[in-house]
Amino acid sequence: MTARPSFIGARVARVEDDRLLAGRGRFAAEVTLPGMLEAAFYRSPLPHARINRVDPAGAAGMPGVAGVFTAEDMTDVAPFPDFDEYARPVRIFGLAREKVRYAGAPVAVVAAPDRYRAEDAVELLSVDLEPLDPVVSVEQALAPDAPRLYPDWPDNIVIEFPVSNPDAAAEFEKTENGAVTVAGRYETGRHTGVPIETRGVAAEYREGRLTVWTSTQFPHIARTMLSYCLPLDEADIRVIAPDVGGGFGVKAEFYPEEVTIPWLAMRLGRPVRWIEDRREHLTATCHARDLVLDLEAAVGPDGRFRAVRGMALQDLGAAEMYPYGFSPAFTAVGHITGPYRIPHQSVGVVGVATNKTPTGAYRGFGIPEAAFAIERLMDKAAARLGLDRHEIRRRNLIGQEDLPYTTSAGAVVDSGSHREAFEETARLTSERLEHRRARLADRPDIRVGSGIVNYIEGATPTYFMTTGHWTSHDSCSIRVNPDGTAVVSVGVSTSGQGLETMLTTLTAEALGVRPDQVRIVMGDTDRTPYGLGSWGSRSTNVASGALRKAADGLLDKANRIAAHLLEAAPEDIEVHDGAFTVRGSPGESVTWRQVSTAANIRTIDLPEGVEPGLEAAASYDPPGIEHTPDEYGRVNAAATYVNACHAAVVSVDVGTGRIEVLDYIVAHDCGSVINPQIVRGQVVGGIAQGIGGALLEQLHYDEAGNPLSTSFLDYRLPTASEIPPMTVRHFESPAPAMPWGAKGAGEAGIIGPAPAIAAAVEEALAEYGIGEITRTPITAPYVLSLLSPTGGAADEMN
Amino acid sequence: MRPAPRPVDRMTASMTVNGGPVEREVECRRLLADFLREDLGLTGVHLGCEQGVCGACTVLVDGRPVRSCIMLAAQADGCEVVTVEGVTPDSGLNPMQQAFKDHHGLQCGFCTPGFLMTLAGVEPDEHPDREAIREVLSGNLCRCTGYEGIVEAVEAAWGREGRGG
Repeated sequence: MTARPSFIGARVARVEDDRLLAGRGRFAAEVTLPGMLEAAFYRSPLPHARINRVDPAGAAGMPGVAGVFTAEDMTDVAPFPDFDEYARPVRIFGLAREKVRYAGAPVAVVAAPDRYRAEDAVELLSVDLEPLDPVVSVEQALAPDAPRLYPDWPDNIVIEFPVSNPDAAAEFEKTENGAVTVAGRYETGRHTGVPIETRGVAAEYREGRLTVWTSTQFPHIARTMLSYCLPLDEADIRVIAPDVGGGFGVKAEFYPEEVTIPWLAMRLGRPVRWIEDRREHLTATCHARDLVLDLEAAVGPDGRFRAVRGMALQDLGAAEMYPYGFSPAFTAVGHITGPYRIPHQSVGVVGVATNKTPTGAYRGFGIPEAAFAIERLMDKAAARLGLDRHEIRRRNLIGQEDLPYTTSAGAVVDSGSHREAFEETARLTSERLEHRRARLADRPDIRVGSGIVNYIEGATPTYFMTTGHWTSHDSCSIRVNPDGTAVVSVGVSTSGQGLETMLTTLTAEALGVRPDQVRIVMGDTDRTPYGLGSWGSRSTNVASGALRKAADGLLDKANRIAAHLLEAAPEDIEVHDGAFTVRGSPGESVTWRQVSTAANIRTIDLPEGVEPGLEAAASYDPPGIEHTPDEYGRVNAAATYVNACHAAVVSVDVGTGRIEVLDYIVAHDCGSVINPQIVRGQVVGGIAQGIGGALLEQLHYDEAGNPLSTSFLDYRLPTASEIPPMTVRHFESPAPAMPWGAKGAGEAGIIGPAPAIAAAVEEALAEYGIGEITRTPITAPYVLSLLSPTGGAADEMN
Repeated sequence: MRPAPRPVDRMTASMTVNGGPVEREVECRRLLADFLREDLGLTGVHLGCEQGVCGACTVLVDGRPVRSCIMLAAQADGCEVVTVEGVTPDSGLNPMQQAFKDHHGLQCGFCTPGFLMTLAGVEPDEHPDREAIREVLSGNLCRCTGYEGIVEAVEAAWGREGRGG
């Protein structure tokens, strides 16, 4: 093939934008159906209670109320299957049975002509909940006499995966002169994805078929789960993910409401819609993080890390979440060494149930927690050995000569720019730091510092360690219409990242059609081949892999038809911009329309031996992914590895403890860049969320287990005023095994901010000899408590 | 002085919406956002929090940006209401919308109509530099973009490209 103009790396305008800008997006709340009812839930106000009785009389008697239901009514509904052989089964039901284990758990549901009446009716329900002692922290949960969330368990441990690697232990025995052991307990606070669109579900049951619209990142998995829970064949269920207003992982969970609302539509014989409100969202949509990494490192006198050991301890809340909330802890362990040559590790996992909202997926998925721990420990080792924070990283970073490099967690890092990204970021950061220090030199109350961190992110991970069920493939089908337009259907599903544009670009690239000839179909199980949806920075990889396979077969056939029409040899055919030409004879051409018309309509024009039709389908499972860990927890759990270096320049007001991020610098490498504008948007958006988690966002509970962060007044998202200008550099180390070399851009940005900002704050306050920053969010009261450890008790609320 | 109103649970609301007259009987408690979305089908009005914080439901009422999730439809009686549908040309995009597209000022698009309506109700000259633009945007929450593309879009639409701040 000769070189022709490529769409890869071009700043192609997003095809999604026009309708979204005009307010013509179709989100779950825009689903309206004739005769539709609206549902509202009664949710437990108590964190831990026995459900004695629900008296529906007052609510059921209200005009227009179509029904009031509790778990006792849902006898034909099975609980979510418990797939993971290592975890204790939690048996999630559509509505809580017997007990509630977190404030916000759904207990009863009401359907009424509109939401006003449904909420009125909920207020008239009489619910007798018998309070039980709550368990609000991991320490409480692990106490020998702790109340148990699940009475048939011996304790509150959901999962335990101890690891004892003798090779790691041996490194801690090497105590020659100058070798040190550094240790810390690093806690990433409880915060979560918080898309601006809440969840929503609408369902209609007609002629034996159930259609469910749900704001989800994985419609096919939702359909399969529905088939497990409801008495329906999977073929009789259609799940549609309409426009999804942000997901960030929290919509890559399958929720009780996604069973209850469809069941309600079947039971009542009328369409039903439920749109979550923000208060519900902050207690009933999964929380995330809340992970402590107890970590110890054996470090040689030269600053080289020899081994890490410790434990990932996660507060899973009530644990009633599927896919499993403990999976981020395993992913944290899988990323604990970051991009550093640390030959041995021995890090186990304990996941504990408490009476808080169940934890689940959030962008980054354990990797931000891991980066926070290892980067804090690296800064600590540098201080201990009297090394510069940059120098210790240089001595430990993977270099080109090491690639492919297998980390002590089993990750096979195939490619990357670990040292190059670091040096570029370090250079840019020192310029920004000098500039800011000079500008703020006359402010006696302000100190300025910078922090720098590195990470890798396993992109396109196995889903088996998260679900105990699904693994890693995805699918694509392409149909070329007689007029030459191409309809591409995929199993991945967008929640706003720009997948439609990415797939349009790749289809144009693969088939030589014009972008305006391409239509993308996704988010509808009736119209797309089976796939696992969009999470884990996987969509570009798996969809492009499937697309490449399907397109290759299709193009081969199209070339033969074009060659026949042009009276040339198939190997001499080129295709570009919607037309096939003969190499060396640019004057002669046929269009995709002519080729497809021959294939689909005038089949008398086909060459001998070529079947009618112009369609192809393929599934793709990225090579190299392993699905289960060995006894030391080692597993190559992802198809490829993104790398980046992040740095923050911050100012700290020593009087108030207020932190301001002045500059943010990142050198990012997600392989070949398909659309630079979209990649930058993913990186910058992820960093903004990371800054939120580092400084602002926290889901608070009081000592009795009552959620205190139930509105946007109590849960602070970053605004335009808190997000600094960002300097973004792209490095491109193509993924060797991936079509087009892309690695996936969705998750990475969120990983760096917490450790980078923590390091920057420590550097800014170095003259005060403050203690180590070991947890997030890094609030002003936390900073003040570090500045004045003996001072008044700081209020940790932000 | 008008006489003290008697308690009623329904009333008639007359207003101008996107340039056209609308008169409907509404429950007194009906939120303006629900009225616009459910009764008039103007689903570009998005509800992100129903607590008056996120700004996704922002519309113009008599020219000023208002959170339609914490205003009653009845309160808009006699007012002129404009939603994102009202600032979108019949074909194509208005200059601010085009700037959002050019500068990647949106991803999922859920918060976007709220940003557009906030911007439609402010005077550019009162927000002379980048910091002031960030300030005026800080009443609207976006979870996807990190605001970078939105700030750049506003600068471009207001003719300030390259000035920075």
